[in-house]
Amino acid sequence: MENERDVTRRDFLKTAAAVAAASALPSVGAPAILANPSPNNVVNYGMIGTGTEGCTLLKFLATIAEGRCIATCDIYPPNLKKGVETIGSNPQTYEDYRKMLERKDLDAVMVVTPLNLHAQMVLDALSAGKHVFVEKTMYFKEDEEDKIRKASEEHPKQALQVGLQRRSSLLYQVAIEMIRKGAVGKVMFVRANWHRNSNWRRPVPDPKFERLLNWRMYKEYSGGLFAELASHQLDVANWAIGAEPVSVVATGGIDYWKDGREVCDNIQAIYEYPGGQKFLWSGVLYNEHFQFEEEIMGDQGTLIITLGKGMFYRERVAKVSKAGLKENWWAGATVAKAATQEGIPIFPEHAGNGEAAFVDRELLYAKRWLASMGIYKYEEPHDPWWSEMSNFLASVREGKPVVAPLEIGVADAQGVIYGNRAVETGQKVFWPKKA
Amino acid sequence: MNCDLRDGNGRGAQDRPCVRNSRFTIHYSPFTIHHSLFTIILLVTCSRLAGSLVTALAIATAVGGHGAENVVRYEASHESMGTVYTVAVYGRDRTFLSEVVEEVFEEVDRLDEQMSNYKPESELSAINREAASHPVVVEPGLFHLLEISVGRSKETDGAFDITVGPLMKSWGFFRGRGRLPSRAEISQVLKRVGYQHLKLDAERRTIRFDKEGVEIDLGGIAKGYAVDRAVEILRSNGITSALVSSGMSSIYALGSPPGEHGWKITVRAPYDARKAGDVFRLQNYSLSTSGSYEKFLRIGGKNYCHIMDPHTGWPVENMLSTAVLAPTGTDTDGRSAGFFVMGVERSRKYLSVHPNLAVVFYLPSGAPPEYKRVMLRSDSYSIPADSIVEIDR
Repeated sequence: MENERDVTRRDFLKTAAAVAAASALPSVGAPAILANPSPNNVVNYGMIGTGTEGCTLLKFLATIAEGRCIATCDIYPPNLKKGVETIGSNPQTYEDYRKMLERKDLDAVMVVTPLNLHAQMVLDALSAGKHVFVEKTMYFKEDEEDKIRKASEEHPKQALQVGLQRRSSLLYQVAIEMIRKGAVGKVMFVRANWHRNSNWRRPVPDPKFERLLNWRMYKEYSGGLFAELASHQLDVANWAIGAEPVSVVATGGIDYWKDGREVCDNIQAIYEYPGGQKFLWSGVLYNEHFQFEEEIMGDQGTLIITLGKGMFYRERVAKVSKAGLKENWWAGATVAKAATQEGIPIFPEHAGNGEAAFVDRELLYAKRWLASMGIYKYEEPHDPWWSEMSNFLASVREGKPVVAPLEIGVADAQGVIYGNRAVETGQKVFWPKKA
Repeated sequence: MNCDLRDGNGRGAQDRPCVRNSRFTIHYSPFTIHHSLFTIILLVTCSRLAGSLVTALAIATAVGGHGAENVVRYEASHESMGTVYTVAVYGRDRTFLSEVVEEVFEEVDRLDEQMSNYKPESELSAINREAASHPVVVEPGLFHLLEISVGRSKETDGAFDITVGPLMKSWGFFRGRGRLPSRAEISQVLKRVGYQHLKLDAERRTIRFDKEGVEIDLGGIAKGYAVDRAVEILRSNGITSALVSSGMSSIYALGSPPGEHGWKITVRAPYDARKAGDVFRLQNYSLSTSGSYEKFLRIGGKNYCHIMDPHTGWPVENMLSTAVLAPTGTDTDGRSAGFFVMGVERSRKYLSVHPNLAVVFYLPSGAPPEYKRVMLRSDSYSIPADSIVEIDR
């Protein structure tokens, strides 16, 4: 074995630290200059949709000084009230988002509404000159892609970011950098699951609000499990593989929660990529043992990752080569494990640029060790939702590229739409040929 | 300097300085070594020519008389015994090589299943549970290893001892977190430590403990034994060029790589895994290392290494690492920790009566990363005719 080729535990962790240090991560360690932005440089934004997800974002936005919520909008009064309470900035409230978009002092909007409303709201917001953050999935119907693309091209100075928050996670960013640097070799397979044991319903105080509050259950508004759950993980697969799918086969059904819903309570799907890579996705609503995670498998190793936790496992690899290699073996018992069975925690935290104090370095090492034993749980400096919102506001303020732009959103939306089509038709669905 | 550890006539004198050969450049490592403290006891003989002939023969056998261009190198790793076994092997048929290597790993796994003290279902665990109450019949291979181990313990006056397990537990080196046991606790534990408590009956192939609480831990020798078993499998399949490594701590060099004069094996420097302590060229020979850098506790600002002195119950101090060279993995793995415990002077006495061993001691000297090296060799020293053992610093 050539020692220099060997990815030892320490080497790997150093790589992780180096990647973390080298990555331009706007969410890490908010620069002091942003801690007290000038009043003229604060982004005035409005939240369209203050249901569960909207209020989640508002909760994080309330701690970000670079933005000020001046407007919220929802057609369901309890949600509107909840949104105002969550943000705490006394925003103007609206039932009609179009009225909200008329405000000249509004710089940006977040579209966090039922999926069927996304496209029109994005188009209207771009047309009104606003920067736009739209929750995943970016659009609902296939023909909406061109409309959004055209509008985005017509407003190139306005940010358009899709709400795929794993893109803003430091852990995921480091994992992807590791993939790019060859830690797992050639990525050939991604397996992901999102398993819950619940009916996936919101409580409805009056039956007349059923379709409004439980819009996820109805095909008129919703892309079901594909749109709400798989979309996050499909995006990770696209990111890890570095390509978009070319086809999908899928099956699913309403086999457990037969409560009048129109979308599947279980789905199994296989996406295929141009290089033959596969993404296998499983979503069920009757068992949560495996919860959610993504497993990225290459010919040299595996990354298992989810929000808040990432592990690397080195593959037991047989190397075949012609004779002539200069043999140089190192003895000294420094490789106790190759991480083929016991993984190495992905630990993006870094102790600075090599000049960290001894205590800091030792503490970091201790934390990694504890994490490897499952005693210590890695926590990102900021929640990915916070980072996502912070990234968006930074893009608005500074004109920087958004973390999850249109093309990423399109690839994700196509995967959702074609996945559902595969379930509905029982046929393998192919992506349209690109012009 | 380039020195050969061979002593063709079987005689040797310790502390004989290595003869410098002007044809070779001395490459000093970037760190400081107290050269004045070197005690190198090597002879340079005419073995280079003999070694080259052996290498040429090995290559010819490996490729079955075909040209070297047909030779394939196959390398695979496998986790077992809490470490990583790696085999690199040369031959003509990739599929055949992979099958042979798989057979090696299956054997290593079998030994792990048998000799692990982490697995309650292993034969060793059963012995540990039952041998204090009645004699336990032992599988022949394991019994042989127990005999070798007890023999080593007697030879080293207990410096190497497979009953050291309870001490390791006291210090938290077994599944636990490190802790500093009290002197009273160590004193209590030591009552259960000592190879004298192991009663082997060769006729009945049984083992019995004469005391409750005695435990066997083969961690100091089983990996070398597994390396030897791996080499047997390789040889029985006609392999003549391979390297077997158990976690980089026990290595056997079978033959030489095609066109090479021995397998180049670099022993890490004690304070820096990326720097070379020594560079060896080995053929049909084994090397094992023990180091304080492998596992250690840091308590109250002081480091305690994982190698225990079975007499005192305390981790060994004033030793950084040892590297042992001998004909088999069982020879080297079962001795590197013993030499580590014995230190230079006791080892010198040991080597005066135990033949065919060479040891390099890496000792503290001033503030890290400085250290000093002491190299010793058996008074009676010879190596097999088909072996190469050279040091190239």
